[in-house]
Amino acid sequence: MRGTLLLLIWAWSAVALCAPHEHKPPVVLAPGYAPLSFTPPEPGSYALPAMGSAADGAVIDSDGNSAQLHDFLGGKPTVLSFIFTTCDDVNGCPLATYVMRSVQDALQADPSTADKARLVSFSFDPVFDTPDVIDAYGSQFRAGDFDWQFLTTEGATTLDPILSAYGQWVIRDYDENGEYKGTMSHILRVFLIDESRQIRNIYSTSFLHADTVANDVRSLLKEAAAYPLADTGA
Amino acid sequence: MIIKGFFSALIALAVLVQPTSADETCMSPYMAKIVGQEDYVYIWTLGLEGVGDGEDKLVTVDVNPDSETYARVIHSISMGGRHEAHHSGLTDDRRYLWASGLDTSKIFIFDVHTDPAAPKLHRTIDDFVEKTGGVVGPHTNYALPGRMLITGLSNNRDHGGRTGMAEYTNGGDFITSVWMPTDDSLQGAEKSGNFADGYGYDARALPRRNVLVTSSFTGWNNYMMNLGKMMGDAEAMKRFGNTVVIWDLHSRKPKKILDVPGAPLEIRCAWGSRSNYCFTTTALTSKVWLIYEDEAGEWQAKAVADIGDASKIPLPVDISISADDNHLWINTWNDGLTRLYDISDPFAPKQIMEEQIGEQINMVSQSWDGERLYYTSSLLANWDKTTASEGNDLQYFKLYKWDGSSLELEFNLDFVELGLGAPHQMRFGAHALYGGMTAQSPSGLITTPPAH
Repeated sequence: MRGTLLLLIWAWSAVALCAPHEHKPPVVLAPGYAPLSFTPPEPGSYALPAMGSAADGAVIDSDGNSAQLHDFLGGKPTVLSFIFTTCDDVNGCPLATYVMRSVQDALQADPSTADKARLVSFSFDPVFDTPDVIDAYGSQFRAGDFDWQFLTTEGATTLDPILSAYGQWVIRDYDENGEYKGTMSHILRVFLIDESRQIRNIYSTSFLHADTVANDVRSLLKEAAAYPLADTGA
Repeated sequence: MIIKGFFSALIALAVLVQPTSADETCMSPYMAKIVGQEDYVYIWTLGLEGVGDGEDKLVTVDVNPDSETYARVIHSISMGGRHEAHHSGLTDDRRYLWASGLDTSKIFIFDVHTDPAAPKLHRTIDDFVEKTGGVVGPHTNYALPGRMLITGLSNNRDHGGRTGMAEYTNGGDFITSVWMPTDDSLQGAEKSGNFADGYGYDARALPRRNVLVTSSFTGWNNYMMNLGKMMGDAEAMKRFGNTVVIWDLHSRKPKKILDVPGAPLEIRCAWGSRSNYCFTTTALTSKVWLIYEDEAGEWQAKAVADIGDASKIPLPVDISISADDNHLWINTWNDGLTRLYDISDPFAPKQIMEEQIGEQINMVSQSWDGERLYYTSSLLANWDKTTASEGNDLQYFKLYKWDGSSLELEFNLDFVELGLGAPHQMRFGAHALYGGMTAQSPSGLITTPPAH
């Protein structure tokens, strides 16, 4: 097939590239690993216009219980990332989890926000990321009783509609014999979802930083305080 | 070979993080890139009366030299009329190509992933003016994470240059719009000079500095007017943008309005990790401008070079920055020249070569490695030349090879002779971007491995 010899590169700022270990050159870390290089706008000082409804679908939580994704969205601001636990691209899934842990730390440090937001890490590798695996993975990052959920799916039948709805398309890497190499490429996208399950922001690698994500969460909390759901009829 | 490809990709990734980039050429940094041989060029093409069906088209040309249909038009979609086809841009996942019409304000969203060799119309946005509260003339289609930023050129109240920007989801749903700052509505921005005209044209972002940069052209009344008539209309000639606006990227609020007189058009930002500057060129005053952050963290604008003889109105149009930030291609429409500037000192660009490409010239797109330069000819339907001094070199799509010192013509497609029209914006496509994907299985779990 023509084109397969293309040297494809995913833009550092947008896309996670998970690839074999051999001969990796030194990697320059994404901005999310460093202190923010600018002063972010104050929470509540800017708009986060709705980008549409966050999709639902059948999932499995880290205890192995069947559930709906919507069970873990709504009611409070939620940061949702799509990852797989074996991803070894430091600027891909590990970045997402690193930033989410930093968001957790920032929100947890403030009693007024400690229980007011949720994090969800959603695996798109149901083959390897069983409930036990994501439970073990999550236990490394969840601090105390912070509402950080780790989810997986039964398989492609339930996973694909969710990935399609969130625009998460995966390229699986095959060797010359057509054998899956266990690695895949995907666009890193992290979603900010409000208490009414509306998508309010999307971050990719160059935008993903705990300071701005936490501020966006605080902005949604300010908005929710000013316009409670009960008053809007939402 | 695939593995080699991935190693190379990793190397390029590391370089990118520095980061660097050809502008494969001048697209949003928030998207996948092709660093090897592109398979296709998608050319957003103006319909010309009496040429083929006369309609605007998305034309696909096979540019892979290993292909049996190399250098041929392999696909074309007609858009049911003329919309003043102008600019286009890919979504961050490169699954869709957005192409807009400056006259009808329609935006056409093409699926380029299902079959990259044969794009198909996925959705048409025909209520852009209504949704945006009166923005007219969607111009730049710029990818941000999960969304598209669309700059406008005009408005529906007086069809002048005051305009705004809009954001849409990748799926084509309207999110929000914002108007460019003006004297009577600065929106908190600092007016640093004499102008706050509210005009719009291009947009580029520097996320590491939380900055969005926009430029300014002219409104519908001018860009739809016959060029000769407009040039003779002193009042019309006053209605061109003179500003570049620095925005807070995260909040989408304007921060500072810079004077850049003479219609600053395309914006190309440097890619070096410590290079906090962008270039633009002014159509009417024929200068290269540097938009830069100074040591105090203030954004400034400075004219840093002339482009040809301004009195002869060379009319700089598209520009393209090289992978290492050392070179800038500048096309001047009126004399048909592509000019190469050494910008290794961004405060002192120097022209180091020029080449006649055609009777007129507009867009330039270069491959990641800078070795292939694609050129098209058309500027605007009512501004384009209709007669050539010799030959039929008015409306073309050309590929040149660049060896670092000279350009060599690889092929030339005459878009009038082919019954297509007047070619404008080019974007690249490749099968490998979608390797192994199927519409049914975004996880890639239900699929067959790509053939090799």
